Amino acid sequence: MSIRVAVDIGGTFTDFVCLNESTGNIIEEKAHTTPANFASGVIDAVGKSKINLSEVQYFAHGTTVVINAVTERKGAKTALVTTKGFRDVLEIGRANRPDMYNYFYKKPEPYVPRRLRFEIDERVDYKGNVLQAVDEHEVRHLAKQIKAENATAVAICLLNSYANSAHEQLIEQILAAELPNVEITTSSSIVKVWREYERTSTTVLNAYVKPAARLYLNTLDETLRELGLETQPYAMQSNGGTATFNLAKEMPISLIESGPVGGVIGGAALGKVLGEENIITFDVGGTTAKTSLINRGEVKITTEYKLEWTPQFAGYPIKTPVVDIIEIGSGGGSIAWIDEVGILKVGPHSAGADPGPACYDKGGNRPTLTDANLITGRLNPDNFLGGTFKVSLQKARDAVKPIADHFSISVEEAAMGIIKTATSNMLNALKLISVRRGYDPRDFAMLAQGGNGALLSPHLAAELKVKKLIIPNLPGTFSAWGMLMTDLRQDFMQTMIMPVEGADLNKINEIYDEMEQSAYAVFSKQNIDPSRIMLMRSAEFRYIGQEHAVAAPVGAGKIDQEALYTARREFDRLHNHHYTFSLPDAAAEMVNFNLTAYGVVNKPDIKKIETKTGSAEDALKSHRDVLFEGYGKKNCPVYNRPMLAPGYKINGPAIIEESKSVTVLCPEQLLEVDAYGNLIIEVMAEV
Amino acid sequence: MLDPFTRENIAQGLLAAADEMFYTWGRTSQSTIIYEVLDYACGLTDAEGNLIGQANGATMFLGAITFSAKAALRKFGKENIKPGDMFLTNDPFTGSGTHLCDVAAVLPIFHENELVAFAVNKGHWNEIGGKNLGSWSTDATEIFQEGLQLPDVRIYDCGVFNESVRDIIAANSRTPEMTLGDLYAQTAALRIAESRVIELLGKYGRDQVVESIEHILESGRKLALIELSRMPKGEFFAEDVLDTNANGVADIPIKVKVTITDDSMEFDFTGTGDAVFAPINCSIYGTYSGARIIYHALVSPHTPANDGFYSPLKVIAPEGCLFNASSPYPVSCDWEPIQILTDVVKKALASAMPDRVPAGHFLSIIGTIIGGIDDKSKNPFVLVEPQAGGWGAGHNKDGERGLVAICDGETFIIPVEVCEYRYPVRVEQFAFNPKVGAGEHIGGHGLIRDYRILNSNAALTTMASRHKHPPWGFAGGHDGSINDVQVHRSAGGYESRATWSNEPLAGGDLVRFISGGGGGYGNPHNRPADKVLDDWKNQYITATEALEYFGVVIDEVAQTVDEVQTKLKRQI
Repeated sequence: MSIRVAVDIGGTFTDFVCLNESTGNIIEEKAHTTPANFASGVIDAVGKSKINLSEVQYFAHGTTVVINAVTERKGAKTALVTTKGFRDVLEIGRANRPDMYNYFYKKPEPYVPRRLRFEIDERVDYKGNVLQAVDEHEVRHLAKQIKAENATAVAICLLNSYANSAHEQLIEQILAAELPNVEITTSSSIVKVWREYERTSTTVLNAYVKPAARLYLNTLDETLRELGLETQPYAMQSNGGTATFNLAKEMPISLIESGPVGGVIGGAALGKVLGEENIITFDVGGTTAKTSLINRGEVKITTEYKLEWTPQFAGYPIKTPVVDIIEIGSGGGSIAWIDEVGILKVGPHSAGADPGPACYDKGGNRPTLTDANLITGRLNPDNFLGGTFKVSLQKARDAVKPIADHFSISVEEAAMGIIKTATSNMLNALKLISVRRGYDPRDFAMLAQGGNGALLSPHLAAELKVKKLIIPNLPGTFSAWGMLMTDLRQDFMQTMIMPVEGADLNKINEIYDEMEQSAYAVFSKQNIDPSRIMLMRSAEFRYIGQEHAVAAPVGAGKIDQEALYTARREFDRLHNHHYTFSLPDAAAEMVNFNLTAYGVVNKPDIKKIETKTGSAEDALKSHRDVLFEGYGKKNCPVYNRPMLAPGYKINGPAIIEESKSVTVLCPEQLLEVDAYGNLIIEVMAEV
Repeated sequence: MLDPFTRENIAQGLLAAADEMFYTWGRTSQSTIIYEVLDYACGLTDAEGNLIGQANGATMFLGAITFSAKAALRKFGKENIKPGDMFLTNDPFTGSGTHLCDVAAVLPIFHENELVAFAVNKGHWNEIGGKNLGSWSTDATEIFQEGLQLPDVRIYDCGVFNESVRDIIAANSRTPEMTLGDLYAQTAALRIAESRVIELLGKYGRDQVVESIEHILESGRKLALIELSRMPKGEFFAEDVLDTNANGVADIPIKVKVTITDDSMEFDFTGTGDAVFAPINCSIYGTYSGARIIYHALVSPHTPANDGFYSPLKVIAPEGCLFNASSPYPVSCDWEPIQILTDVVKKALASAMPDRVPAGHFLSIIGTIIGGIDDKSKNPFVLVEPQAGGWGAGHNKDGERGLVAICDGETFIIPVEVCEYRYPVRVEQFAFNPKVGAGEHIGGHGLIRDYRILNSNAALTTMASRHKHPPWGFAGGHDGSINDVQVHRSAGGYESRATWSNEPLAGGDLVRFISGGGGGYGNPHNRPADKVLDDWKNQYITATEALEYFGVVIDEVAQTVDEVQTKLKRQI
């Protein structure tokens, strides 16, 4: 009874990772994702692994169901209830125009059309005082209108409800009684923070996906039970922690980035074992590259998440916490093309899995990054995905030929050009998460993951100038492995603006008490023993007159003047770090009070691998020519990763192959296998 | 000869340097107008001041970088610009372009004592003196009332900081600490860009970097020419009026002749009215910035800004006209002439290139200040914000509802909940203004925002053009609706004006901002009946309006279109 399972549904594949704690054995499986009924892909993967679910003691699940329902607009017909005079807030948004020169810019289309946005004549002021009470008759009349429109979900977001949520609750009660089959979400049950547009957007999206999420989680839960699962399964939330399915059904919006966060949490967990507190994760799959930063062991969380945001599109704000990940449309399947004035571009269009890169020979004839990697010898046509998949070098060359012809260069040179361009895009994303946020990459280790992470990262790690690069075991399914390392997590936020000088300490203690009681209540519903609950407080401070705030940790227990000043000083320090200045003598105020509650679950030990006497030469299987920027063609030794053992060293250039991934060690780099089987690369010289 | 991929890597490196400068300034500034409103720009030029790449948060700064660098070259001469120098300018008439609050800093970058590039940035300083707090007003009569003028001063001379200039700046500002903070943050950002360019020079060598710069400019020019080749050629005319009524000035005629050939696009503003003694003039460099905005939008909105791309653009504005004012004409609301400039060009080209031009939008930023002394705290409060409004319909879409104007960009309106917390006001509604231009595609809705004053006193300053002359529709689409600022007195009655200057308000008074709806596109009778029904269901129009404007008869009980009656109606 010591088996842990994580299932991660991605766009193309459903990854399955199973860890047997007593032996330390890990099984990984991939099944095709089945969008028509996601649960069947999960069942496929479980079946393939031949695991007996009744022996499983921990089951974590990452899912794209929520984000798909939102982006494909397959959620419920949703009504919105607002304060009188404000039903258009959802559509007005913040009125910004990121696509500045485009007269044909289209704003984000609201998830609730105007006819389904209803107003109630009520009003609360910013202090929470009631100026106009709710008339229950008006609400009952409203219920009839919602019924007539056949809406199956309702979002309620009233002005200043972060200061007093009584009206939202009253309206919810009445509507719940009148409309028994309708799912209702109040803004105050999701986030008690100010800024009406952002709060309304979050509430609406939660309501919009609630029916679909409930159905999905119920179906999966039943199926897993039929297959013998006895333990309670957990859903991976965007905040990097898990929640029971029951809780996730009430707040499905917290699953919006359920998939990609596993790799970041895994990065933090692995970093802890290796003594690396500062990590930049770098995950390259078929269509995208994702990067996140872990500072002093802490995963960065943002409450500024915007769904579908691009530099030219405002996106939809979601105020529930999300692990801060930067994602760009650049991966193995990204297509290379020549723009109007003759400059080579790679991505964001991707050949996907079908038809896939030209070398797959499945009808795709446009050149991709994977084709370029094949031509330059980085990938081995005879050992693609461990030899399970036959690829055509000729098709790859044919596809790259037009690009070579355009520049009057060889196909090899054109392939190098594609790699150079794609990695330059990725380097920009890596700089965005590090240098541009005030972090020095030389203080960080990079952790590569995803199907293409190990292939591209040695070169990028050198360009970014990180201190070292880690290629973990099974980099292709690392994100699912990371899900095995998670705790339950719930976040609570309360907006309350208060100056630090003359702060109302009673009020602060009251806010934290209330949030902590809610945390205990939530975890007790999830059967978590109180001794397993860990609470972390913070408050968002700013200098008076500023708009943006910086979160600083707040001590546990009763807050007195001294505790408050300690937090304030920490804010000054953090402000200096993020914004290069601090104003220790200026008046400051607190804007939001936050509580993060963890329900700590037992986590597996990461086991060391068997040592051997010998050297890397024992794992040598062949040699092949690989083209490197600035070095030309180099004959490289090719090693079989499973044969490597702790302490083995390899000098670059070299290729290290495993069944679902390839590491391309650049010239002048040095690789050493650590006690756990991770490949640790000194990136050294610039390449 | 450089391989094309390395050349592109260097080019990306240069653009990244401009971007990083932008992020750095945003992060390090203490001024909300920089880090929240993004009212600033950063860029790199070559040794002649030609723009290589630029990052900005508002469109108004499109000419800021290049003309500021060229102004320094003109004033001092290349041979007198030395390593360690830095120049400051906010002189609208010699190159800085926009109002005095926008201060540009110019830093020359050297490689082995050869000037190879300039890093330039420009942003809105919170306070630079003048007759009004915040330095801009809607009733200045000369530029001397609008703040301190910095006509290309050498603030660093071979690395030595000029403390005398610093002291003059500090002495002329109501918030000296914050103003100097702006200066220091701006300088730090320039240094970041300088070090990135020097890194590139070190890594690739001077010749390769210069070749890459030339290639950026050449690619930009090529791309512009490709787009020009796709446009109709000839002369196009339009006129309009600027109707702010500031300081009581009458409507000012605005005229343009646009000439498009295979390799140029020329805007000739001859015939536009003369400069006036109200802060609605702009300098020739402000005019260049405005011309670049509309040129950029017309030619290729997603192409990165550089002087190669802008090289086909020619601008003619006779000296002394509204678009080429000189000292002492005031310029603090120069966004008004700059915006109508973009709009009149668009209007001239609308019928000729409907695929690139939508109908007119609400156009005015409706820059607003409501300020006073808070009864309770006795501290001053100042609510400063732009209003958003309705955009014009295009050949393929309805207009957008509630977006900031063309001179703004990544500019955010203030949340109601933040306003109510911070200022003694209650927002009583924030909703769509139902009046828009009818059409096959309808104009976007403007907004109505009501502020009830909860303080014993306050003052209102604001300016809204398009107060009498609404945004234009075309191709059969109707005109949109006007901008209006109303003061409803608690004692009853109200007054409606385009421009208010320090208007006293009392507790209980209500200020209503109404931004205009965009113009429509196409004959309203061609709007599909089911879309008109949707508009009715969404309560954008009444059944009467459906009939009057769109010729659609709606059965209000069945909530359907009466097809037979509609057909009859639309045949007429």
